Amino acid sequence: MELLNASGVSKRYGGITALANASFQGHMGEVHALLGENGAGKSTFIQILAGAIRPDAGLFKLNGAPVRLGNPRQAQSAGIAAVFQELSLIPDMTVEENIWFRHEPLSLFGTVKAAALRKATLDLFRQYKFPSLLLGREVRRLTLSEKQLVEIAKALSHNPRILILDEATSTLALQETQWLLSLTRQLAESGRLIIFISHRLGEVRQVADRITIFRNGTSVAAYDMDKADDDTIVADMLGRRMDRLYPERVPAALPNIALKIRKLESEQGLADVNLDLHEGEILGVAGLYGHGQRELFHSLYGISHARGTIELWGRRVTLRSPRDLLTGKDGIALVPEDRATHGLLLSKSVRENLTLSAIYRCSRFGFTNSRREAALVRAMVESLNIKAAPEQPAGTLSGGNQQKVIFGKMLLTEARILLLYDPTRGIDVGTKGEIFQLMRDLSRKGYAILFYSSDLVELIHVADRVAVFSAGRIVKNFEGDAVTEHHILRAMIQKWDA
Amino acid sequence: MKASVLEDEDRNTREVRAPRGTSRWRKQLDERASFLVACALLIGLVAVYGSLRKGVFSFEELNLDTAAAMTLLLAASGQTVVLLRGGIDLSIGGIISLGTVLAATRFGHHPQTAAFWTFLIIAMGLLVGAANGLIIAVLELQPFLVTLTTWAILSGVALIVLPTDGGSLPPGWMKFGAASWFGLSSSVWLLIALLLFWCWFRKTRLCLAIRASGSNERSAYLSGVSLIFSDVAAYALSGTFAALASLYLTTQTGTGSPTIGNGYILPTVAAAVIGGVSLFGGRGGLVGTIVGVFIMTMIGNLVFVLSVSSYWQPVVSGVILLLAVLASSIAEKSAKRNLLA
Repeated sequence: MELLNASGVSKRYGGITALANASFQGHMGEVHALLGENGAGKSTFIQILAGAIRPDAGLFKLNGAPVRLGNPRQAQSAGIAAVFQELSLIPDMTVEENIWFRHEPLSLFGTVKAAALRKATLDLFRQYKFPSLLLGREVRRLTLSEKQLVEIAKALSHNPRILILDEATSTLALQETQWLLSLTRQLAESGRLIIFISHRLGEVRQVADRITIFRNGTSVAAYDMDKADDDTIVADMLGRRMDRLYPERVPAALPNIALKIRKLESEQGLADVNLDLHEGEILGVAGLYGHGQRELFHSLYGISHARGTIELWGRRVTLRSPRDLLTGKDGIALVPEDRATHGLLLSKSVRENLTLSAIYRCSRFGFTNSRREAALVRAMVESLNIKAAPEQPAGTLSGGNQQKVIFGKMLLTEARILLLYDPTRGIDVGTKGEIFQLMRDLSRKGYAILFYSSDLVELIHVADRVAVFSAGRIVKNFEGDAVTEHHILRAMIQKWDA
Repeated sequence: MKASVLEDEDRNTREVRAPRGTSRWRKQLDERASFLVACALLIGLVAVYGSLRKGVFSFEELNLDTAAAMTLLLAASGQTVVLLRGGIDLSIGGIISLGTVLAATRFGHHPQTAAFWTFLIIAMGLLVGAANGLIIAVLELQPFLVTLTTWAILSGVALIVLPTDGGSLPPGWMKFGAASWFGLSSSVWLLIALLLFWCWFRKTRLCLAIRASGSNERSAYLSGVSLIFSDVAAYALSGTFAALASLYLTTQTGTGSPTIGNGYILPTVAAAVIGGVSLFGGRGGLVGTIVGVFIMTMIGNLVFVLSVSSYWQPVVSGVILLLAVLASSIAEKSAKRNLLA
């Protein structure tokens, strides 16, 4: 039975068309995947469905009856709930306050009852078998994946008829992802419509009944999952056939050690980490969520404190703050996990973001030479194929282009040790391919790259060597043909076997 | 704290576990660092004051200090709500001035007229606040500028109503300030009422909505909060409290002054911030503000008993205030380090 019918949906921002005459039909009891490159209009479309932005045109029917989705409240009362990529949580409120925000259980005096709130939350967790979450903790203290779980719980608390999951698995660990996927199936079987957005084709195959593909701001194709092969799907997304996602692996590692770590320990969970990163090498880092990869990146970048010795290009260093590392050819540069808050100043222009960490390269006596700056920016925009004007605010770019700006910012510092923490998270295949090619090119130029990805398949295809973390230490190193999904997974979960 | 690794195991066992005793205590300490530092500071100041003067620990002293603090306290209560929303309200200076001159010129000698004008003054505060909120929300203007202009307008009106300090209030009106029940003065009872109000208000959906809008406006909107409503409510509350502050002030001074409110604008912000309310919205509460107000009152008392010359008084209280802010910021920073781990 058709539950949701959207037709003629259009949205323009100034001169840019985000959506043009898109349409969508979803049925009760189905998991319906929305696929498309970044900037194809999926995000705009689901934000319109959730009432977060108002379309310029469009007709929406629920069970055949027209509905208005003018603001988030109207969408809520129409039975639509969304788990946004841009989370909708209140940082200063607790987990349970966030989940039941705006529909809390109230006492006679109109006050929120803490005990009832707790109970409702625990019931909700039990009903959907949630991975454990600590109640009573303020959301700003949670990790990205914990926040994601809270966001999911919040959407479920409305008991929606239509649930939108926008890249909801992208920040989750393996087990949680599996849990969410099976929950998605269950919810669909109970008669709901789940609109599922993910860049991981494997997941989509696992849960979706039907797919609608978006390209250049409109819906271009819709078919049943079992009637389409991967090549057709990717071709529809790109509008062309793609040669290959992963560049050929040509190890370019030199004997010279760029980054040498001995006995790195920290109170945040690192235990005796030893590691050599060679010039021209792409060293992959694998591990289940929370097993020390993040801490390693943080302590290498001087964000958190760790004991042990670190040598950069043979010189021993003490890292106290990111500033110690930014400058010069001997430095380290980082592509952080959370690109919107740590990687970019969203309200600033592409130009300002690019030169933020490298302004010393185009300034003298405290004055910026704007011609020199413009030249650096132009070169970087061209070489990375960033689809944006230099003065455009970074926040208006698509996820893939934002990530390219971060890469550009990092490369402009001239640092030759690069830390890439999940650089392809939530990025479309086209841009992913470009990023992998870029990494390969950089390694050939002698850059040393430490690369963590939450997607194992990426590690296997891109890294020359993979170090596996478990409980804060490196438990295994794989090289050459030994780098397989099977080996790495085994090493990651080894702790539980023991 | 070796939290990350341990918690991951928790997650795999998939059960909800309460945090352990010690770490939970520690966390509470860290979460509320600036509030606790303010409390410690207040205790310290009271101790110093008590050692310099006899009879500090008595109902009499409590009554006096609360009476001295009450005007600022009422005004700062409203400011706290606006700060939670992530805004700032400068217009309370104008509302207080206008409130006192209206009371001093319009109350007359009939209790009915006085009651009528009391109602009108409160309504004036509420409407000015609501107008502030509406302008800020609908036209998307900076709260600082909007409330600065309403402050200027109200100050002007106050000067038109009463160009110089003066006027008079019915003698019965001023008795309220001196009244006491069970040994506690009216101001202490007001303080208790204020605390009860906060205990109720902070748990209402309205307060949560205001706090949420201050914490993250976009998220609050996506969750279904009407930002216009939360702005109007926050500033209307602030205006109402400012009007109440002006009425209380007249029970103490017995006159009207078209400029007296100006001295309250920044102290309301300072008191709230010392008590742990964030200038960026979303964090803090009225109890913190109350502590902040009493810290400022105590600093005033100290400067008085130390018989600092009147020229030096602002300098000395400024320095003590700076030290107070410094202490709470150091505590906050160390707490943040602990929590980030």
